[in-house]
Amino acid sequence: MKAIFNREFSSYFTSMLGYVFLTIFLLLTGVMFYLVNIGYMTASMTGFFASVTRMAVFFLPLITMRLFSEDRKLKTDQLLLTAPISTWEMVLGKFLAAFGVFMTGVVITMIYPCILAAWGSLPIGETINCYVGFILLCSVILAIGAFMSSLTESQIVAAAATYGALIFTMLLGSLSSYVSNAKIESVLLWLSPLERFSEFTLGIMSFEPIIYYLSLTGLFLFFTTMVFEGRRVR
Amino acid sequence: MITISNLTKRYGDKYALDSISFDVKTGEVLGFLGPNGAGKSTTMNIITGYTAYTEGTVNVDGFDVAEEPIEVKKRIGYLPEIPPLYLDMIVWDYLDFVYDLKKVKTDDRTKHIQDIVDTVKIDDVKKRKIGNLSKGYRQRVGLAGALIGNPPVLILDEPTVGLDPKQIIEMRNVIKDLGKERTVILSSHILSEISAVCDRVIIINKGKLVAEDTPENLSAKMKNVNRMMISVSGDRETAQEILNSFDGIQNVVCVSSQGDAYSFEFDTSLDEQDRKDLFFAFAEKSIPIIAQKEIEVSLEDIFLELTKTPAKEENENEGDI
Repeated sequence: MKAIFNREFSSYFTSMLGYVFLTIFLLLTGVMFYLVNIGYMTASMTGFFASVTRMAVFFLPLITMRLFSEDRKLKTDQLLLTAPISTWEMVLGKFLAAFGVFMTGVVITMIYPCILAAWGSLPIGETINCYVGFILLCSVILAIGAFMSSLTESQIVAAAATYGALIFTMLLGSLSSYVSNAKIESVLLWLSPLERFSEFTLGIMSFEPIIYYLSLTGLFLFFTTMVFEGRRVR
Repeated sequence: MITISNLTKRYGDKYALDSISFDVKTGEVLGFLGPNGAGKSTTMNIITGYTAYTEGTVNVDGFDVAEEPIEVKKRIGYLPEIPPLYLDMIVWDYLDFVYDLKKVKTDDRTKHIQDIVDTVKIDDVKKRKIGNLSKGYRQRVGLAGALIGNPPVLILDEPTVGLDPKQIIEMRNVIKDLGKERTVILSSHILSEISAVCDRVIIINKGKLVAEDTPENLSAKMKNVNRMMISVSGDRETAQEILNSFDGIQNVVCVSSQGDAYSFEFDTSLDEQDRKDLFFAFAEKSIPIIAQKEIEVSLEDIFLELTKTPAKEENENEGDI
């Protein structure tokens, strides 16, 4: 797993992809930080994260689309799948590499709360909560992207399918406001990972959405493993 | 070392492999021969645990591929048809990565990798990016990757395809050396290569095992088929009639024409006297023979000889048109 992680992570930075992703990520978060926090003179980062999570849907698939599809296209999957490692090791190694690139960006954005803390009164608990929620939500998106990438050998198809799946879950959230039945509404809201992020912005650490995000990430990584197992097992 | 029994692979109702059984003894170099699409790569992908199969069992060193894939994979070094190389990596880094990927444990990592680099002769390019290497070097880097960890079994899928003649000879020598202490399965569609390197040959065609023998015996079988090419200048119909009038001539096919010159190929068991008669028969009709030569029997011909499938008729019809 470590070997795959190391190779995959460094490949983001031997190709342009890692830099391109970090540029877009930091540009967008920087602009949002300026517009929301500096513009409205607020030290609360909930508004910032509410906007950034919506944008994450559009730039995270950039780093997952090549994860498995490129290997399949270049036949390097033959090396990985005939090596004496289990399938989940490979899936997890690759997922963690994409997650690592994302986390590199996240760590850099931590400058923003530092700025806020220096010149304002930063609500620390709320900010930590937001970061935890943001990271977990993004790991769900990355896992969905990884799963889509394992289904095809075309990076474009993988990215498009990921966008499709994510936009669908966003629509589920929007749809819920048109449903009069309260039960259906709550089910729809429950199914949409993006909607659940609001629970992190309340400033209270609750375990339910954390478990929800972790389970979804695990589920999609499990699906990804199954894709490879299914190809191998009769 | 490797036992394969009744191995079948189906896509829908199409058979990619149809109940293939064979075994490979420890230390043996087995040649795997067949035309493109015969199922060579499929079989190799199944043994290495890359592809699923429909029925049968594959056993490597006492471990079943379906039951204990990791144990099997530990024992196999695999060089697929297209070497699985990350083009953005430096050769040495790639081998280092494969070392970690295969979870190899040796006392001295650098020495282990350097030994393999020396074996496949890529020392001069070890600091270069794989994407910038020529096909021949890439193939060797791929082989180096397969050798990492010194697996007792090597599976090489067409290791000499795309190499120039000098590289082919080098690659063959490397494989020969490797075969001294390892079990090797080597696929190819070049017969001379197989006979130069292998102890035993398996021929598969259309997913079926059609022959299993030593290269010597196979060559002996081939010599029974004698094929000849003859080019004449004159009327095609007449020339064909003359050829057909000989008992020792069969399967006459007109392979090419250029102006009024026609080339025919045929199986022949003509002796010296018959050949003289053939010459005079053409001379009588004043059809000059411009060229005449014996044709080396190609692999395809052995297949036709060995399989006698309807494919043979198809080929002949194509020749007639």
